[in-house]
Amino acid sequence: MRDTIDRADRASMLLLMASGLSIVSYVFVGILLFALAASLIVVGLGMLPETVLLLRKLAGIKRRQVGEWSGRRIPEAYTPLTGTLVERVRKAVKDPGTYRDLRWLVLHFFYGLLLLYVALPLWVIGALVDGVWCGLLRRRAVVLPLIVRLAALDARWSRALLKPSPDAERNAELAERVEELTVTRAGAVAAHGAELRRIERDLHDGTQARLVSLSMRVGLARRAYDKQVAAAPGAEAPDPDVVRRLLDDAQDQAEEALTELRHVVRGIHPPILTDRGLVGAVRALAASSGLEVAVRDDGVEGGPRAPAAVEAAAYFVMAEALTNAAKHSGARRAEVELARAATGLRILVRDEGRGGADESGGTGLLGMRRRVAALDGTMEVVSPAGGPTLIGVELPCVW
Amino acid sequence: MRVVIAEDNALLREGMVLLLTSVGHEVAAVAATGPEVLPALLEHRPDVAVLDVRMPPGFRDEGLRAALAARKQLPELPVLVLSQYVEETYAAELLGAGASGVGYLLKDRVGRVDEFLDALERVAAGGTALDPEVVTELLTRRGNDPLDSLTPREREALHLMAEGRDNATIGATMSISDRAVSKHIGNVFLKLGLPPSDSGHRRVLAVLAYLNKG
Repeated sequence: MRDTIDRADRASMLLLMASGLSIVSYVFVGILLFALAASLIVVGLGMLPETVLLLRKLAGIKRRQVGEWSGRRIPEAYTPLTGTLVERVRKAVKDPGTYRDLRWLVLHFFYGLLLLYVALPLWVIGALVDGVWCGLLRRRAVVLPLIVRLAALDARWSRALLKPSPDAERNAELAERVEELTVTRAGAVAAHGAELRRIERDLHDGTQARLVSLSMRVGLARRAYDKQVAAAPGAEAPDPDVVRRLLDDAQDQAEEALTELRHVVRGIHPPILTDRGLVGAVRALAASSGLEVAVRDDGVEGGPRAPAAVEAAAYFVMAEALTNAAKHSGARRAEVELARAATGLRILVRDEGRGGADESGGTGLLGMRRRVAALDGTMEVVSPAGGPTLIGVELPCVW
Repeated sequence: MRVVIAEDNALLREGMVLLLTSVGHEVAAVAATGPEVLPALLEHRPDVAVLDVRMPPGFRDEGLRAALAARKQLPELPVLVLSQYVEETYAAELLGAGASGVGYLLKDRVGRVDEFLDALERVAAGGTALDPEVVTELLTRRGNDPLDSLTPREREALHLMAEGRDNATIGATMSISDRAVSKHIGNVFLKLGLPPSDSGHRRVLAVLAYLNKG
């Protein structure tokens, strides 16, 4: 019974607010008519867009009320009123949403009031009938639920009138997606820039410097050799050991430059990805991880390959996850799963270790998350104390 | 020795030919693309083949595949595989059909001419030459591993052994006597639970099998 009253209560609130809006819309129609009349003598033209904005606000209130009552949002899609006055007027007049709102306004004026008029006496009747019915005869309430029906009717009609036309709705969805993409793209561009700067610094400070130093030593050795050849018999020739040392140093520098280059190359795009593809590269990772790793592939190998950036990100994430598992989890076994989904590449790394992986602890998880986010991907880490640890990543891509 | 070289980069190819001929080896043939490799090996039957991993047309691991195919058709053919980078997995694949007459080195090592020639001759003679970087990767293991019970010196001896060095070289590198080398190696085999082996390929094989097992 308490429930029934509660529900009837909430339904009545919606109806009450609906009637309130009806009265407001009555006033609003007056404003609208005035604005239209004023527009005829040009001076009032400025009022028109403002009036349309007001209309949108009213419709917005109703959308929110119905959305809250029914738990289902009514989408909103309008042409933004921007630009010069003339443009704003043109957009206000051309937006189909304006006419849909007007239609709702007029109809709602009637049904908003009507539904309340019906609901009010129902409360009186309900109090009597349901009071006797439920209180004395222990039957189900019959009248009060009718009020809920009325509210549902209001919600249904309002939804039908207020939801944007399919075209407008699609446009709104696209606009939302564009906004989302703009943000992630900016992130990706920034991440890419940071990556380029890192590579530039590695090459500049490391490899280039080493090659300069190497060239210098070769130059010095050559000079020493020339001197030795040119030295007159009996004159003091340079010590051959010095030349030998210079050449030794030069070779050391060349080898170090090569080692550094290899690291830089691995950081940009691991060569084994080129050689063996993602699954082959991951199998190699698994073999050298020090863990017993089961690699499962669901349609990634053999088919068209994911873009290089996606493969590289997936590879680094899995390499990092397996390194973490081998270093910190205490697990002896792990599982890696790669799956081709319609929207992108899904990877999963699971170990049977002690769990409790902490994102604030090291830079590993954070770095992984950044790499994934740069490609518009998502990453999920589940690692309760006591394990197991599960890292799931989805990288969107077109196959 | 008669050598067949497979290398697509003209600069490196010429460098290699120069290096080998200058020390008296004969270059029987050079292959510049993956598909040329196997026919050249079958035709010339060299004493040793020096192969680059990444070659045209795919620029993936054509050289490595050619080496594996060659080992299948000519099990006795020694191959030395060179690469800009080393992968434990590739080493495992190369050693899969036996460690005898197999080499896998970073291209950088060619610069140390004497060591490179030594490795080449070792491989040609049926020995093994594994890049120190691969061995380091193989030796990097999780905790709770018998490898952890090795002393630093024993570990160093194991490292050199896995590279395919003989006792004399190990002794010279570590500046210790032959007797001390034998002692270290005996300890390594004992601690890893491997049956004692005489020197030579069987020893390398046992060590690599152990390390590969993970």
